This record gives sequence, C-alpha cells and structure tokens, in this order.
Amino acid sequence: MVLLNIAEPGQSPLPHQVKRSVGIDLGTTNSLVATVQGGRPNVLPDSQGGCVLPSVVNYSGDHGPVVGSAAIDLAVRYPADTLMSVKRFMGRGKADAAADATRARYRLSDSDQGLVRFLTSAGELSPVEVSADILRSLRDRAETALGGDIDGAVVTVPAYFDEAQRQATKDAATLAGLKVLRLLNEPTAAALAYGLDSSEQGVIAVYDLGGGTFDISILRLHQGVFEVLSTGGDAALGGDDLDAAVANWVLQKTGEPDLAPGEYRQLQALAREAKEQLSTQSSADLDLAGILPEGGVLSLSRNLFEELIQPLIKRTLLACRRCLRDAGLGAGVDNIVMVGGSTRVPLVRATVASFFGREPLIDIDPDQVVAIGAAIQADILVGNRPQGDLLLLDVIPLSLGIETMGGLAEKVIPRNTTIPVSRAQEFTTARDGQTALSVHIVQGEREMVADCRSLAHFELRGIPSMVAGAARIRVTFQVDADGLLEVAAREEITGSETSVTVKPSFGLTDEQITGMLQASFEYAEEDKVARQLAECRLSGWQLLEGLKSALLADGDVLLDANERQVIDAQMTALESLIEGEDAEGIRVQTEILGRLSEAFATRRMDKSVREALAGVSLDELDDEAAE
Amino acid sequence: MSLPEFQRNYFELFDLPKSFAVDQVELGRRYRKAQRETHPDRFARASAHEQRLAVQYSALINEAYVTLRQPVSRALYLLELAGISREDIDRQHPDSGFLMIQIELREKLESMQEQPEPALMLEQLLAEIGEDMIELQAEFAQQYAAGELAVGAATCVKMQYLDKLLLEAEQMEASLLEK
Repeated sequence: MVLLNIAEPGQSPLPHQVKRSVGIDLGTTNSLVATVQGGRPNVLPDSQGGCVLPSVVNYSGDHGPVVGSAAIDLAVRYPADTLMSVKRFMGRGKADAAADATRARYRLSDSDQGLVRFLTSAGELSPVEVSADILRSLRDRAETALGGDIDGAVVTVPAYFDEAQRQATKDAATLAGLKVLRLLNEPTAAALAYGLDSSEQGVIAVYDLGGGTFDISILRLHQGVFEVLSTGGDAALGGDDLDAAVANWVLQKTGEPDLAPGEYRQLQALAREAKEQLSTQSSADLDLAGILPEGGVLSLSRNLFEELIQPLIKRTLLACRRCLRDAGLGAGVDNIVMVGGSTRVPLVRATVASFFGREPLIDIDPDQVVAIGAAIQADILVGNRPQGDLLLLDVIPLSLGIETMGGLAEKVIPRNTTIPVSRAQEFTTARDGQTALSVHIVQGEREMVADCRSLAHFELRGIPSMVAGAARIRVTFQVDADGLLEVAAREEITGSETSVTVKPSFGLTDEQITGMLQASFEYAEEDKVARQLAECRLSGWQLLEGLKSALLADGDVLLDANERQVIDAQMTALESLIEGEDAEGIRVQTEILGRLSEAFATRRMDKSVREALAGVSLDELDDEAAE
Repeated sequence: MSLPEFQRNYFELFDLPKSFAVDQVELGRRYRKAQRETHPDRFARASAHEQRLAVQYSALINEAYVTLRQPVSRALYLLELAGISREDIDRQHPDSGFLMIQIELREKLESMQEQPEPALMLEQLLAEIGEDMIELQAEFAQQYAAGELAVGAATCVKMQYLDKLLLEAEQMEASLLEK
C-alpha cells in the first residue's frame, strides 16, 4: 500500500518529497508548459528544443491525433481535419461559433443541443476533446522532462473567459489526465512571474495584447498577497487586428483585388511578418509573389505602420482607463507588465508608457511570461514552497446574474468581486402548490438577458407545496477560486433542501465528461478498475492523514469526548476499508467521515483565523512602520 | 453546501471594535491575514471536504471585508446587528427637503450630456455628492454612537440615495470617457 505523507497546509514538506508541478499556457495560437526546478521557473522545450507548441491538432490518420508543427504541415492536405484556434470555440454555442467556423472552413455537426462539434475523419470532436489532445501532448513533454507523473497543474485562461469557457478548459485538462490545482487568469499569472522577484509592495498593471483579445488587469501586491483590483479588456481586439490593418493597406495599394481565402491567409502571414520586422527595423518589404498574379514588392515604413495601427492601440487605452477607475486608485501604478507578442511593437510600448507615465517591464519574454507565472503558482499550490509565500486573490471578471421578469438580468455577483464569493438570493412561487422553479443564470454587464451570455438553467425541485408566494427559497450562488459556479437551494420556512439540477447552456454535463474519461482508450478495462480503486484509496488517505494531524494538534481542545469517539470509530472503519478492494465502499466511507469531521474542520479554521488576528503584536507594528 | 458554523459577527471576525469608524488600513491588513489562513489555495492538497470548507470560509471573509469596507454597507450591517431589519430601514422616508435636492442633482446629471463641458460639470457633481456623503457619514456615526437607531436608519436611507446617484454619475463618466 502506498503511504502518503500529506503535509499540513502551509507546512513545508521535506526536500525529497518535492512534487512535480507544471504551469500551462493553453493559448489560441501557441501553448507552453513550464515548471519550477531548483527554485527557478523555466519553460520546458520539446525534443527539438522548441518551447512553443502550436495549438493545432490534425485528425486525418488512424494513428491518433497529431499535435503541433507536424499538424500544421498536414493542414494544407487535410484542411477540415486540422483544427486550429480551437480556444475560440471553448464553452460556446453553435450559434456563437458559426461565423468563426465558416471562416476557418470547419465542418460542424448538426446533432447535439447547440454544442459545437467538429466533423473530422476521426469522428465528431468537441473543442474540449481537441484541447485535451493539446494538453496531453504538453503533459507528455513535462513527464519526459521531469521523469515521472505530474502531481498537479495550473492552467491559465484569459481574464475575460466566462464561466462556461472556464469549465470547458478545466474539463479538457481533466480529460488529458491532469490534476488541475487551479485555473489562473493569464494577466494574474504574468504579474506573478514578475512579482516573485519584487518582494516590495505596489500596484501593477498587466497589459496583455494577445492574438485575438486584449486584457488589462490592475493588481496590488501587499504583505505577500496579490490582490486583483480590477480587470477589463476588449474581447474583439488583438494582435491579429494589427496584421489585418497591414493586410488592408496592401489591398488598398493594389486596387482591392479579389483574393481566394488561401491567398488572403498568405497575405495575413506576410503582414504579420512585416509587423514583427518593424519592431526592430525602420521599414519592411512585403513580397506579394504568389498572392497577387502580378506579384510585386511593397515597402512599408515604420512611420506609416504606426499610422495604420494608431487607432487600434488607442482603443486599448479606453479599457485601461476604465480598469483604473474600477480599481479605485488614487495614485497611478508602480509597474506595468507586458504580455503577448504584439507588445513588442515599439508604438505599443511607447503608448502604454506615456499613458501610465512609466516604462513597462520587458525582462521576461512576453510569449513565455504567462506560462512562467502559472508554473510559480503550481509550485506554491502543490506545496513545494514554505509558508509565507505569495497568495493570490483574484476576481470574477463578468457579473453573474439571473433572469427576472421581462427578460431583465438582475446582478447577483457584480464583476470585480473577489473570489471565492457566496451570495444568496430569495425566490418565491407564483402559483399555489408549485413544487418546482426554473432559474436562468447569465453572465455579462448588459441589462437585457438577451445581450448577456447564457450560462445555465437551474431547476429547483422538491419545494414543499404551499400557497403562491408563501415559499421562501434561498438560492446560494457560490463562485470558487477557479471562477466556477455552484448553486444550492433551501426552502427557508420548512427548512427542506431543494435539489438543483444544472443544465449548462454550452457545456458538457458531468455525465458526459465521465463518459469521455471512461472512453479514453488510454486504459484497458482492468486498468480502469485498478485506477478507480487507487483514486478512492488516495482520497481516503488524504482525508485520514489530514484528520490525524488535525486531531493531534487540536483534537483535545476542539472536540468533546463524545465527538472524538465518533470520529475515531469512523476513521478506523475507513482504514480497514482501504485495506480491502471495495472502491465504492471506500468512497462512501470517505464521504461519511468527511461530513462528520466538517464541524471539527470549521472550528479549526475558525481558530486559525482567530490566532492569526489575535492582538497585533509589537514587532508587526514595526514591520508596518518599516514598509 | 452548509455554511460554516460561524457565530461571530464581522467585527469580531476581524477582531475590530464594533463602531461605524473603521481603520481601513488595519481592516485591510487583517483581511489579508485571515485570507492567508483560509483561502482555498492553502488547501490545494487537502481533502475534498476541507477544500469545500475553505471555499465557504474564504467567501465569508471576502463578504465580511466588503461589508465593512464600504460605508453604506457598514452602516446597514451595524443597524442589522442592532436588530433593525431591512424592512424597517426601507420604510424610512427622507424628508422632502432632502428629496428636492436629490431631484435637482438627478436632473443635473441627466442634462449633463447637453452641457458644453460635460466632463468638467460631472467632476463638480461627483465632488458635490462626495461631500454630502461625508456629511451624512458623520451624522450617522454620531447617531449610532448615541444609540439613536431610528434616526440612524433614516440617515442610512439617505446614504443609499446618494450611493445610487454616485454610481449613476460614475457610469455616466465612464460612458463619456468612451466617447
């Protein structure tokens, strides 16, 4: 039997117990995996020494999916079987995705309830499954580099991702066999990558100009705690738009020729190249051979390029201004972190510098900074760092609301609220004897439900039969540290719990995910059983070990003899079950013991908060004065 | 999803005196300390039950912090602790003099778009509302300390009026910025 040594939260494990953890930047165009080794974060290269994995998967053969550059090579021959920019489809409905799909010339399945599914030679695939293949490739890379199984991963998401998109990302990671320690917002990760070196305090702005989106976040670092004060952005503005501005200029100069989609894509690539050259040169030549029948070379000066992109860069400042306002800052920011390849453009840097009144930080490669920050957070969460290290307090980027009369959205949790957060809302029945109630959850800032994103419909059942308006159903909306939503409901007058059934608007249900996991041909049938048993044992042990050290520390103070006896008995029962082979028995007993020990765990947390806050000692006051 | 059996109020939670005046620097410091103990990140390797508890506890601390940080929610919370329900507070109606001023301010705000220099006007209006708010806060602090809860509730309603107006003015400013 495997004996696990679970360190207490915050307690440093022994050096030989260093866990393998990774940070993953799952990008629209490129993905990266990084880790912390010997206290230093670095991006893990593939066998050819390249750090970047193009987020492209080809499904043309019967040899399984091909991921990365090799898939790009197959794109010309198998356009419909080579899926790129799948991130754009994560957690989205078919209606939202149709335009993107047409542009990319993917075939979408007509089956299913509004879910996006690509039709490929390997069958129907959801964006979650495609992303899982990219993540699996990164996991393999990391396991080879680190020499063993990965204990935990932090996966980044754009700050502007809504709940459905986050859930889809987490599902993809689970499907790829990764234990997700946390979903982390990309800008927050970038700040963390820099924050590690600066033990000082201050306000940091993260300016993230990605391929397709622009994100801005304002954070404050204080007493080792990173607080996200506000986040905002423009979901329809990115580096691709800079390329498009150049491409459009070429079209104008050449008399608006009618280009085939393939030719236009070539032109875009050419424009991107020119953009990149203009970061270091004063002019760039665009060779139009192969794009226009007559060919020709156009020269673009940096001055003209800057004129072309000026309005786009200015647009990002609007979001910056709003974000600063939301952060409620009297003074300006102390540091600016740049993320995304397009922040290499000198005009972007200059504009940002003049807006914030100081030079941005560019020490870390803007393409790698997110993965590096994620690796640092993974290292902290997996427990490789001593107590007193950085803590991240992030926010919910978009308001969560519910549909009310007349199709209006009523906000339950406003954007920029620190997570985790729990808010309750009371509902009542409209008819006599009504025993069920349907609630529509939306996300967004607009007043009308139709203008917000539909997240899910919740069905509340088992409401006791009463006259209309008498029932008082208290629905609790809880958003966890990953930005994921959980709902619970309770009828206040009778105290009866009402069950909540979640039907995600554009996501997979738990059953679908379980089904996919079981279907993944990675494990043979007997392996599956063994794996399930191992997982049940592991969570059983986790609970037992945690409880043992908790009882040792606080059992005498926080539990009376009776309570202690009951817990001890159930622990013994779980221990003997773990010796056996009955996975389901272990699972049930773990659940029983977990519930039973909840009150104890609550008292412990209560005590630790009280102790942490009990009277402010003098040396702390000195610390404060010294800051 | 049972809530933590947490009996103490938000002031006791942060070990701060129960009064309308709250040392914001100290509150922030205690908030961060408390989050260090309870945030789910500290329990990333713990059992599922402990993780769930950490989410609930950490959410409670966030709620307590937000409530005590903002003057209006702090005032409402103090009244609630004193046994005055939200319904009681909602029943309070500000005097007609106050309402008249509110209507004027609101009209000013609504006609802002047609003014020659809306941004400047808006800034003045924001400052004006801010001053009124500070005055009301001082009134409330006094009334609460003197145990005049019913009067305090009326002041609290006025603060809510101003808060709402402030929010609308800020939204207006945001939309002006975006033009």
